[in-house]
Amino acid sequence: MDFILNPYYLQIVMFMAINAVLGISIYLTLSTGQLSLGNAGFMSIGAYVSALLTIKAGAPILVSVLCGGVAAGCMALLIGLPVIRLQGIYLAIATLGFGEVVRVIVLNLKITNGALGISGIPSMAVIFGKQLSEVGLSSGMGGLTLQQIANLLVLLVLIAVVAVLVFFCIRVHNSRVGRALAAIKADEKAAEVMGIDVTYYKILMFCLGAVVAAIAGGLAAHLTFYIGPKDFAYHRAVEILLFAVLGGSDVVWGPLLGAFLLTALPEVLRFAAEYREMIYGAILVVMMAFRPQGLLSTQTLRYIKEKLGRSRVNDTSTQPG
Amino acid sequence: MFWQQVVNGLTLGSTYALIALGYTLIFGVLGIVNMAHGEVFMFGAFVGLLLVTTFQLNIFVAILGAMIVGCLLGVILEQAALRPLRRRSVSHLAPLISTIGVSIFLESLALRIFGPQAQAFPASVAGQLLSIGPLKISSVQILILAVSFGLMLILRFWLQKTRIGKSLRATAENIETANLLGVNTNKIIVMTVALASGLGAVAGVLVGLAFNAVEPTMGVTMGFKGLAVLIMGGLGNVTGAMFGGIILGIAEVFSVAYGSSSYRDAVAFGIIIIILLWRPQGLFGAQKGGH
Repeated sequence: MDFILNPYYLQIVMFMAINAVLGISIYLTLSTGQLSLGNAGFMSIGAYVSALLTIKAGAPILVSVLCGGVAAGCMALLIGLPVIRLQGIYLAIATLGFGEVVRVIVLNLKITNGALGISGIPSMAVIFGKQLSEVGLSSGMGGLTLQQIANLLVLLVLIAVVAVLVFFCIRVHNSRVGRALAAIKADEKAAEVMGIDVTYYKILMFCLGAVVAAIAGGLAAHLTFYIGPKDFAYHRAVEILLFAVLGGSDVVWGPLLGAFLLTALPEVLRFAAEYREMIYGAILVVMMAFRPQGLLSTQTLRYIKEKLGRSRVNDTSTQPG
Repeated sequence: MFWQQVVNGLTLGSTYALIALGYTLIFGVLGIVNMAHGEVFMFGAFVGLLLVTTFQLNIFVAILGAMIVGCLLGVILEQAALRPLRRRSVSHLAPLISTIGVSIFLESLALRIFGPQAQAFPASVAGQLLSIGPLKISSVQILILAVSFGLMLILRFWLQKTRIGKSLRATAENIETANLLGVNTNKIIVMTVALASGLGAVAGVLVGLAFNAVEPTMGVTMGFKGLAVLIMGGLGNVTGAMFGGIILGIAEVFSVAYGSSSYRDAVAFGIIIIILLWRPQGLFGAQKGGH
């Protein structure tokens, strides 16, 4: 229990959850075989819109985070419409440019406070703490202090968001839409010939990815007290891409694994924290050369399932005897 | 005032054209966008700066040195990030992701070696202002215009007339046919990446001179300008890259002169979106682009 309550570990787990949401955002776009380098830009839209709504308009966190998602989704639609009809490479370039433009705009607008960024964003833990003390739990409960309960609640919220997204992705994957997406990823022209509306599905997944990235941005803003334009630069876009490349983008568990590994890496290895970007770059090159499908692919997942299935069969057969 | 801006735009635009030529040569031959080009450009700028400041060399020698280092980086890039992918069939995103890896690696390497702060060329390189009628041209601007237009002319001539230039164009046309016709396409590919990276490195020195600032993050910003020109001129179109670069340079200078300077980096993005809506094959692309 102490392990979970340690604020340092708790913080790492929270960032893992945020990164997992970001990983899912790029997984959604990649599921039609397109690469978006603008997810950091969408994340910053989500973060700024939700932070400003909470600070200036006093909106509840849930509302402001969702508004951030909607705003990013609309932006994605605007960019996606002209670009997505073309080859995949155009989307990568246009979204890379979009990320740069969002950064420039955020740097120059008054309401975003330029290069200084926005600080004093009410954090979820503080708000949960206030609400708990209003219910009369100001002295804590069950040996836990108010602060600890609030932190655990935040963690629960984040895990719930990840769980809902994973559930959604799995449901989509096994549906008619999921099969259409897989067909588009395998061969766009063949999919079009089979009567799949390729442009519609590509725009849909691109916008969904943007919405999810913005939600991650909104949640992150209400976790860390401060956001600035530097948090959402090109490096963040590459980091998000890395979650999917390392973990694998065939199955939704891939980006989750990637997010967990890459969030834990700098904490476990001090050396890795110092040379982080270089390691990231090397991972991208090595993965593309030796295992372009990522650590977890459909085959590995099937293999793991078979292994687990066999051991479960063994368990049940040995238990009665 | 107007003509002064045109001269400034031409100077800036000719460096953009040099960057974009690197992208377009590689795209023409390999059909991929080299996302690490901006970082090769940035390394070129730093090598030029080092040669001028630490080794006290002439600026022309520095440009030559940067070009050689750029070519070497190009060869390493090809061996490390592109060749392994060519051996087997991978998705079209793989080379893009792989070169993104190289780009982020090179950028953080530059941060480690050269530090995060912007560095300037010594004042002796900057030279004096010349007045031609109402125009004021610095000797740096003349140097930039001469080097970039000179290189572009040489490249055009080389691609059109020489044997290697012809085999490069054959490889760009169809890699298998070129191979059948006896072109050593592997060699041509290495040479193209090296040449493109060398041009990028020279552009780095020139841009470092133009803005009088060299920093590790310039790769991403300027690389994106090059990509914008690539789309404007049409993917793989050498002439398009040359004219596109000049158009973008002039557009940016005018947006600063008659608009707001803080949004100059957004001009390239605006142009990309307009071009993609209106003419996806690029301003100079004849063939059907897009699908």
